[in-house]
Amino acid sequence: MSLKDLVSPFFVWQRAFEKPYTVGLRPIEERPGAPAYRGFHINMSDDCVGCGSCYTICQNHAIDMVKVEGLEARSGDSGLRPRFDYGRCCWCGLCIDICTAGSLRMSNEYAWFTTDPDEFRFVAGVENKSWQGSTAGYHRHPDYHLFPPRRVEMEMLGPGESVSSFTEVVKGYSEEQAKQEADRCVECGICVATCPAHMDVPDYIRSIRDGDYEKGLQLMYRTNPFPATCGRICTRRCESVCPVGIQGEPVAIRWLKRFIVDQVEDSDYARILPEVADDTGKRVAIVGAGPGGLSTAYYLRLKGHAVSVFEAQSRPGGMLRYGVPGYRLPDEALDKDIEYIRSLGVEIHLNHSVGRETAFTSLLEDYDAVFVSTGLNVPSKMRIQGEDHPRAMAGLTLLDDVANGRDPQIGGSVAVIGGGNVAMDAARVSRRLGAEVTVLYRRRIEDMPADTEEIEESQAEGCTFVTQAIPLEAMDAEQEGKVVLKWGEAEMVPDPGGGRPRPVLQEDRMHLDTFDTIISAIGQGSNLDYIPAGIADQLQIKWGKFIPGDYQQMVVQKLFVGGDVANATADAISAIEDGHHAARGIDRFLSTGQRS
Amino acid sequence: MNTVDEILDYAIDQEQQAADFYADMAKRSEKSGMKEIFQEFSREEERHRDKLLDVKRGEQELTAHQQVLDLKITDYLVEVETTENISYQDALIIAMKRERAAFRLYSDLAEKVSEGDLREVFLGLAKEEAKHKLFFESEYDDRILQEN
Repeated sequence: MSLKDLVSPFFVWQRAFEKPYTVGLRPIEERPGAPAYRGFHINMSDDCVGCGSCYTICQNHAIDMVKVEGLEARSGDSGLRPRFDYGRCCWCGLCIDICTAGSLRMSNEYAWFTTDPDEFRFVAGVENKSWQGSTAGYHRHPDYHLFPPRRVEMEMLGPGESVSSFTEVVKGYSEEQAKQEADRCVECGICVATCPAHMDVPDYIRSIRDGDYEKGLQLMYRTNPFPATCGRICTRRCESVCPVGIQGEPVAIRWLKRFIVDQVEDSDYARILPEVADDTGKRVAIVGAGPGGLSTAYYLRLKGHAVSVFEAQSRPGGMLRYGVPGYRLPDEALDKDIEYIRSLGVEIHLNHSVGRETAFTSLLEDYDAVFVSTGLNVPSKMRIQGEDHPRAMAGLTLLDDVANGRDPQIGGSVAVIGGGNVAMDAARVSRRLGAEVTVLYRRRIEDMPADTEEIEESQAEGCTFVTQAIPLEAMDAEQEGKVVLKWGEAEMVPDPGGGRPRPVLQEDRMHLDTFDTIISAIGQGSNLDYIPAGIADQLQIKWGKFIPGDYQQMVVQKLFVGGDVANATADAISAIEDGHHAARGIDRFLSTGQRS
Repeated sequence: MNTVDEILDYAIDQEQQAADFYADMAKRSEKSGMKEIFQEFSREEERHRDKLLDVKRGEQELTAHQQVLDLKITDYLVEVETTENISYQDALIIAMKRERAAFRLYSDLAEKVSEGDLREVFLGLAKEEAKHKLFFESEYDDRILQEN
């Protein structure tokens, strides 16, 4: 080795104090991304409902919907959040464009250094990233939507026309309108979890896009044998959670359901829908031919069990027949559902009251199982002075009279007391009978338990609403055949227990108004007098309602219950689900003899 | 009733009588589900009694000057009969009317006595009864007046 070889490495040091020819790795000279740059994702997790539209639309499979610790699924929120894989993302921004909740956007950050490649797969908005608070970057323009934010308008009778008869107010979609509306569905399925009957909404809406209505009908009947009815009067909790409704109007799920049913003739049902299984030799008695009882009957009959339904009224349908007026649910629609159930061999004994014609105990003795769904058919009393005045009546009595073709003779001016659906129905029926209607309600419009649509339509049809009005007494008027209602104004005060505000009467603000009829519709209760004390004592009953165990079964093994008399929601779709659920329990009980 | 203890003994006795009344209604009730309701009412009155026993022992104090919300639901409801077939609505009306009567009794007695300590005890008992009335009125508002 020469001397030069030994010394030459040290010559490098002579460069040590010269200006470098290359730039150092750090610090990098960061240039901010353009204001609308498609950089790293931001998700406002509290606004996100986990609909998964971003996951569905991503063409690179760069998004997975994952469970997040501490975030539970609830009605209207799947509890899942999008996880992005930046090894796959191509920054197209389609996920931003489709986001129903508007919770997803992109920052203009684009530089991210890490030695761990797994970090590039992250749950935006949940894992703490420096760009989460950034306001720059790509946002969907508020006027730009991948699907129309407004639903296809439903053609309805105008208010002037609607009050002139009991003709159905809603006319229904045409095929073109239905397909257009069906196109707005993002198929997230959030509605399926919220629907009490867990109807397969995305798939039956898809059947409209495909023009395959028979398939749609099959899908509906899997969990609901009352689609013609629910397509008209369902309380549609599905729509209340539809993510499309967050930044626009929810998909008109109820009207689309109705559209499918209206496309299929009753005579084709038997060909399309499942056949009845071979006879099992088991017999089930059902008390009450409402939606709960008849749903149980349908699903039990499909399993091959013999079903006898006992109904006190002269026509089947329960509250759907006698509590929902024809302008919302025409008899033909209700009969389309009921007659198909009957056609499968379900026996419906009309004008047959259990407790009067047949003892409840004999049903338990003679049948292998009994399902009770007798509803809430006793109007609650106001318990105010003069309530039994000859010019005062219950809302349910009015609806029952009209459903049976009797003239309730309400006169030209009516006060309806209450804010539920029965009150709205009583008000709108009264308008159709030619009366001026004043609705008095103790609380505010926003506190009314009635369907918003019903409230709006009542107002459009000319009913006058007087809120924070407490009825106090009914008394004779000077004019014969009239009644004076004494009522007082109320102030809403905060509830000390933290509940909803409560109305408190202001005794210095009293009113006396004269009407032809006062109609009270403040709620309904049950009548369980047909159940003998010896059996009733064994059952868990609270506030006039059964408290069933699993599969709607009671302590008395043969006995199953459902519908308004056994649930807190008291609507048709919950009764239908109770019936379906009980039918599974009864079938299991009959097959194995075991408790559900 | 000349001493605080005598007044409290009277009030405790009243609560016990109320508990016994509801226990008796529970036994006599023939309507499905009402036995449990009356048993719960009876337990509620026993809780009231126990609170007053605590007050007498000096373990709790009555607060005479606290504001208690009056929903005034009871004032305009008619009297109902206590039958074996009584409904939950009517059971609540009976309970509300009883609490209102007790509230009025103690309020009237507070008006009539001049001695400061006794007056404070009566006012304190009146507030207790007002709270009991609010409890039943809130239940009535939530359960019976759901659609009104």
